[in-house]
Amino acid sequence: MTQAIVVEGLRKKFGQREVLHGLDFAVEPGTVFGVIGPNGAGKTTTMRCLLDIIRPSAGSISVLGEDPRRAGTELRRRIGYLPGELHLENRTTGRRVLEHFAAISGPVDQRHVNDLADRLELDLDRQTRKLSKGNKQKLGLLQAFMHKPELLILDEPTSGLDPLVQQVFHAMVREAVDGGATVFLSSHVLSEVQQAADAVAILRDGDIVTVSTVEALRTAAVRQLRFNSTGTEAHDVGALLARVPGVANVAVRELPADGHAAGTVEATATLSGHIQPLIQELARLNLTDLVLEEPDLEEAVLKLYSGGDAPSNAPHSLGASKQPEGAHRA
Amino acid sequence: MPRPLPLFTKALTDSWRSTLAWALGLTAAIMLYLPLYPSIGGSSQMQQMIDALPPGMTKALNYDQIATGPGYTQATLFGLIGFLLMSMAAVGWGAAAVGGDEESGLLELTLAHSVTRVQVVLERALAILVRTAILAALVFVLVLVLNGPAQLGIDVGHLFGAVLLFAALALLSGTAALFAGALTGRKVYGVAVGAAVAVLGYVFNAVGRQSTNVEWLLNLSPYHWAYGNSPVANGADWGAVTGLLCISAALIALGALALQRRDVGV
Repeated sequence: MTQAIVVEGLRKKFGQREVLHGLDFAVEPGTVFGVIGPNGAGKTTTMRCLLDIIRPSAGSISVLGEDPRRAGTELRRRIGYLPGELHLENRTTGRRVLEHFAAISGPVDQRHVNDLADRLELDLDRQTRKLSKGNKQKLGLLQAFMHKPELLILDEPTSGLDPLVQQVFHAMVREAVDGGATVFLSSHVLSEVQQAADAVAILRDGDIVTVSTVEALRTAAVRQLRFNSTGTEAHDVGALLARVPGVANVAVRELPADGHAAGTVEATATLSGHIQPLIQELARLNLTDLVLEEPDLEEAVLKLYSGGDAPSNAPHSLGASKQPEGAHRA
Repeated sequence: MPRPLPLFTKALTDSWRSTLAWALGLTAAIMLYLPLYPSIGGSSQMQQMIDALPPGMTKALNYDQIATGPGYTQATLFGLIGFLLMSMAAVGWGAAAVGGDEESGLLELTLAHSVTRVQVVLERALAILVRTAILAALVFVLVLVLNGPAQLGIDVGHLFGAVLLFAALALLSGTAALFAGALTGRKVYGVAVGAAVAVLGYVFNAVGRQSTNVEWLLNLSPYHWAYGNSPVANGADWGAVTGLLCISAALIALGALALQRRDVGV
């Protein structure tokens, strides 16, 4: 089976400014592929290139086995698209918007539309100008999903949706994938993507920093560790932790006797990598409390982002943080 | 099920309010101007007043011919107020069709669906053509209705030709606006270019008629191509009808080509 999307050496220049510097990635059919990056990284530009809304300056694109530049209308009938900035006409209703797009990209099963609208709790007969941002976004999702496309290209799909509706959206994505569709979605927040995506590309300043699975990101990410134990000297607890690969920032102290069992030691550390070696070491201790936090993928990704532009930001943030401190002291 | 010409039907139905508003404006203008002909244009007093005006001014306003019913209709309705209203309508529609749609961010999503860009331009141009035709037909009927009561004495065939030129002239401004909008993606450029075609055409005609030294300006004036021989009085110049429609068709084709070749929404 051919890949759903293949992008090779994709470059895009607007005038003199190059915003995509040669992207390479491929999306396997029947998977969810997430692109994460801060605003301005090139996510929207990449998606618009896939839909032939803008044209690459260099490189090749294949979408569902076809070149979007040449394939024409039949290809776009097989794609559902949610733009990053969704604009809707004012003097119309959701139903009429959907009917229009159905007339272009149909056929559309009306029961499917009604079903999706029910699940998203969207009133299709309201005037679009009276819809909240979240409700407009639901309408945008509906027009992307309604003709059951083979490929969904969704730019910041969860933006403006409250958590409950996000769950509905994730269910819709899963159902689409179960039905054989491929989903290509973007976000500037990893936590929104990690739930849905099989693979994640991290985009920064028009370059792909890494393509990885959410699982691999999770392994690479740093977790916070904190535990209390009794019966072991603080010094020995520290030594034990130091033996575990991936453990860093170890801090150990003996807790004061009041409120705790005598000789309670509290330890904090960070862990990156696998947890099994840590658990094996901790099993030697007499633990009274243990917290191993959910890995902060956000942190992991932010580290990747900040790789390039740290020097330019540093003086600015330094100056900003110093001033109030000084004022406070005076 | 896919319907035929979805963009055309949408453009037409979405703009019924504006079409109705322009129709009301044209109706009001016709109802105000034409019934006054017996007391203004046809009266000898008025003729004396016009004779007293500087000849340059009467020529610029086409008032040199308002002593006859067809001349009066030509000068006041087709040459001035009707021309103004119809051009504004067509320019507004033309500028909104692609440039305005792109600027408001709507075009991106439309193009992501199963349409071609050429289809977008052509269907929307067709919607402008139909709306212009509706307004022109209304003008034709209203003038015909008033022809007897207002003692205008207009030949029906000549009126038909004049209305055709009236529509073709407005369509030219509208398609110029469409083209500029499709080329730039900005509504304001569409309005500017469309309005320039209408206004410069009018000004070149007004100035060109002043003396033989500046007569060459008339050749650059679509307004003069259409109205130079007073079609309400003398019948249409069919070459002008064809010429105007051909330029409009060319502008539509160029608009489609321009949109086809560029990035949208950047």
